[in-house]
Amino acid sequence: MLFWVIAAILTLGASLAVLLPLAAGSKGTSSTGDHDLEVYRDQLSELDRDAARGLIQPAEATEARAEIARRILRLDNAAASGKASTRQASVAARLVATAAVLAVPLVSWGLYSQLGSPDLPSQPLSERLAKNPADSSVDELVARAEAHLAANPSDGRGWDVLAPVYLRMQRFSDAAAAYRNAIRLDGDSAVRRAGLGEAIANAAGGIVSADAQDAFEAALKLDPATAKASFYLAMALAQEGRAKEAVAAWQAMLGRLPPDSPWRGAIEQALAKSGSPEVASGGATNGPDAGDVDAASSMSPADREAMINTMVAGLDDKLRQNPRDPEGWMRLVRSYVVLGKADQARDALGRAIAVFGADSDEAKKFTAFAASLGLTATE
Amino acid sequence: MVETGHFALVLAFALSLVQTIVPLFGARLNNQRLMAVGGPVAVTGFALTALSFGALASAYASSDFSVASVWENSHSLQPMIYKITGTWGNHEGSMLLWVLILTFFGALVAAFGSNLPATLRANVLAVQGAIGAAFFLFILATSNPFIRLNPAPIEGRDLNPILQDLGLAIHPPFLYLGYVGFSICFSFSVAALMEGRIDASWARWVRPWTLVAWMFLTGGIAMGSYWAYYELGWGGFWFWDPVENASFMPWLAGTALLHSAIVMEKRSALKIWTLLLAILTFSLSLLGTFLVRSGVLTSVHAFATDPTRGVFILCILTLFIGGSLVLFALRASRLTAGGLFHPISREGALVLNNLFLTTATATVLVGTLYPLAVEAFSADKISVGAPFFNLTFGPLMVPLLVLVPFGPLLAWKRGDVFAVAQRLMVAFAAALLATLVTALFIDGASVFAALGVGLAVWLILGALTDLAVKSGFGNVATGIMVRRLLGLPRSVFGTAFAHLGLGLTTLGIVGTLCFGTEKILSMHAGETVELSGHTLRFVGLYPAQGPNYSEDRGRFELIGVSGSAIGEISSAKRFYSVRQMTTTESGIRTMGLSQLYISLGDEGKDGSVVVRLWWKPLVTLIWGGGLVMMAGAAMSLMDRRLRVGAPSRRRKQASAIPSTGLP
Repeated sequence: MLFWVIAAILTLGASLAVLLPLAAGSKGTSSTGDHDLEVYRDQLSELDRDAARGLIQPAEATEARAEIARRILRLDNAAASGKASTRQASVAARLVATAAVLAVPLVSWGLYSQLGSPDLPSQPLSERLAKNPADSSVDELVARAEAHLAANPSDGRGWDVLAPVYLRMQRFSDAAAAYRNAIRLDGDSAVRRAGLGEAIANAAGGIVSADAQDAFEAALKLDPATAKASFYLAMALAQEGRAKEAVAAWQAMLGRLPPDSPWRGAIEQALAKSGSPEVASGGATNGPDAGDVDAASSMSPADREAMINTMVAGLDDKLRQNPRDPEGWMRLVRSYVVLGKADQARDALGRAIAVFGADSDEAKKFTAFAASLGLTATE
Repeated sequence: MVETGHFALVLAFALSLVQTIVPLFGARLNNQRLMAVGGPVAVTGFALTALSFGALASAYASSDFSVASVWENSHSLQPMIYKITGTWGNHEGSMLLWVLILTFFGALVAAFGSNLPATLRANVLAVQGAIGAAFFLFILATSNPFIRLNPAPIEGRDLNPILQDLGLAIHPPFLYLGYVGFSICFSFSVAALMEGRIDASWARWVRPWTLVAWMFLTGGIAMGSYWAYYELGWGGFWFWDPVENASFMPWLAGTALLHSAIVMEKRSALKIWTLLLAILTFSLSLLGTFLVRSGVLTSVHAFATDPTRGVFILCILTLFIGGSLVLFALRASRLTAGGLFHPISREGALVLNNLFLTTATATVLVGTLYPLAVEAFSADKISVGAPFFNLTFGPLMVPLLVLVPFGPLLAWKRGDVFAVAQRLMVAFAAALLATLVTALFIDGASVFAALGVGLAVWLILGALTDLAVKSGFGNVATGIMVRRLLGLPRSVFGTAFAHLGLGLTTLGIVGTLCFGTEKILSMHAGETVELSGHTLRFVGLYPAQGPNYSEDRGRFELIGVSGSAIGEISSAKRFYSVRQMTTTESGIRTMGLSQLYISLGDEGKDGSVVVRLWWKPLVTLIWGGGLVMMAGAAMSLMDRRLRVGAPSRRRKQASAIPSTGLP
């Protein structure tokens, strides 16, 4: 409401700036010649001052004075001839004046209604942080907590509360820093260590690095029943290519965990990913994820075949770009055999051997593997 | 408050349309009332633009992230000063500053233009209004700073760390005052073309406006150069970068305009040329705005994929430059040319100056646009760097600089070059001596360096000779001389100071380029290094935390002759986490006119740090000279003859001076 009042006042002021000069009586104004004459007079007086100061030689001064006088004479001639056209088109003038007065409110309100957001109030940050927490969004609450911690950086409890919120908001490096602060200020705990590990791993795009492993191992030392730590350590094994150990670790966890544990779902998903030997070796990041597999099981046979074909083609492409992946080659060869495409399987085998060299250990492994599937390198 | 600013901006656009059309018709129909609209509308338009700018600045100051531009270019942890300067540290805000200054100059014409002939004033305001309308439309259509976000994000994306510096507070406003100040000269020229006649008061008005614009542009360029020098950490002061050239071209053309306007004012000669130069100068300002604001410099091809802004500015450019040049072609023949002069005279010297400066401008223009043309028509990206400009711009400048001291000493209309040469004998002898001393007694001085020092001394003493001659040094008693010196017109001091500043800048450039030394080495804490007689000890790297950055501060001790520390210099590498950007804070210690410059490089694995050291002799003179030039322009502005020309009010006074002797 206040905004509309201000807008109306501004429009009124702007319109008056147009209207008042139009309404005022026209003052008698001087002609152009008067202005020029004034300038020439001043040039003459300046000339005199320069001459008095000795900046200009007397002869030159006389010459310059004559020149200025000539200009003044020319001015009189021009003024005598230039007084013909006066106002004749007062209708046109009135039209322009009316259009101008109308244009100010019409253009401004018309354009603003297209561009503006009149209902949106200003939102200075300090005001947003000072309002009732019940009305605040999660972002605003986090910002408020951050402001509090910026002022009291040694409030360990504050960091402890904020850290998991950061994790959920996917601000992983902030989460890691918050967990570290909480551990430093409020002491070690299995939950904080495991959280730190999760934050580090997620900050690295899901790769369980050595730093993350250290954190998880520290958590297990404090409390061997920390499911998060066990889960991620098994994930680390899978990522290192030790798929069998990872599966064993996850299966052991399933045995230990209470039936209502939230980790069961995650473990089952992870097992599904690494369940079949084809996909296990690629680790968690390759291969189809649980969603893809679910989708595959509820498909028509034709659709399923199409999906499998796309996946195999994707693997083929990947191997063309990164050929030094023996496990990958074996998966590809096997896939083609399963799909009944013996020619392509043979072609893949040939390419795999070419990559590593015919005499290499890998090549021997490939040949043996292909033989076990009933395939030979040459017909 | 934010929406009030938005509304004020739209309203200012509406007023700029009125300002364009109504006074224009008024001047055509010779209707006093319509012409009278221009003044109040220009002042109100400025007030509304100022309100709009104030609203945006307050949104920045209060971190109102519901405004998209604030969210993109600010952060709640920034110090207050950078929150405020961030208002114009981005495209949208800087365009708003541009029109703010444009309307400010329009309002100045309205406020102080009562001594102008009514039609001239109306036409000037109309042209000024048209430029304003074009840029308001550009802002509203493609770069609106008041676009809102709902829901509002809780934190901003931070201002570009390079811009988080005091340089941003001063550099763009000064530069824009310069760029946009030339719009007044442009408007006066176009108005004169529309009327088909050049008034005497036209000549009087163009010069002070050129002076104001030139003064701020000089300051803006000097400030920008110093900012790049200490912020970018490369130790260079001028890179011949297209963005720098964009501001340098209007400066060169503006310098030419400043000089030709003197001839026009004093002798009514060179009128048409001055008019053309005024149009070209502002056209180069517009071109500069286009180059910097359209994104065409980052990559011609990136520009082509998102061309809305660029094409819009290009249209504005074509409209105003093309329109004014067509008008010039049609009308210039109608204008009367002015007085005659001998080739060897003050006028002749100023024409020579104009020839050199416009050729230099063309050189820079070619060097700036050629790479863009190559990129547009082929896949190659070439850069025309210092070598091109050293080969073309340098040879043009040297003869000009050699001739500078002659100009002010030559008489109007018909000069005596031998008499002037005689007066300059002292300066010439001193310059020769300086050249010889440099060549013989300073180690490692090249011929170029010696001649450069001689040229700088020649310029400095030449400027002082002008003052000495005009105050009668050597001819009259000391008392009279001092009285004469103090009684000289301010414009004489203005000339002398501007030329003195030029000499100082030249000395600074020669000193830094020819006698500077440089070292790059890897240092461990506790090690010492020597550079041009200064011993520095690296104390170590210390981490520190700023409001929105963390830094590693490298501390160095300056070791005196006795072996004890006599001062400390520190240079830092700052990391701004929001933008994930690193900046270098160079460590600078000024000693006399010279500076010791330290910049930190990468950290080695064994705890060593790459350190770059420069010894930059006389480097401060480069920008100090710029300040002296600004002071010269300010003095020239205060000259009394520029406050003249109101017929009604001054008539009695004028006739009271008996010596005029005219009715």
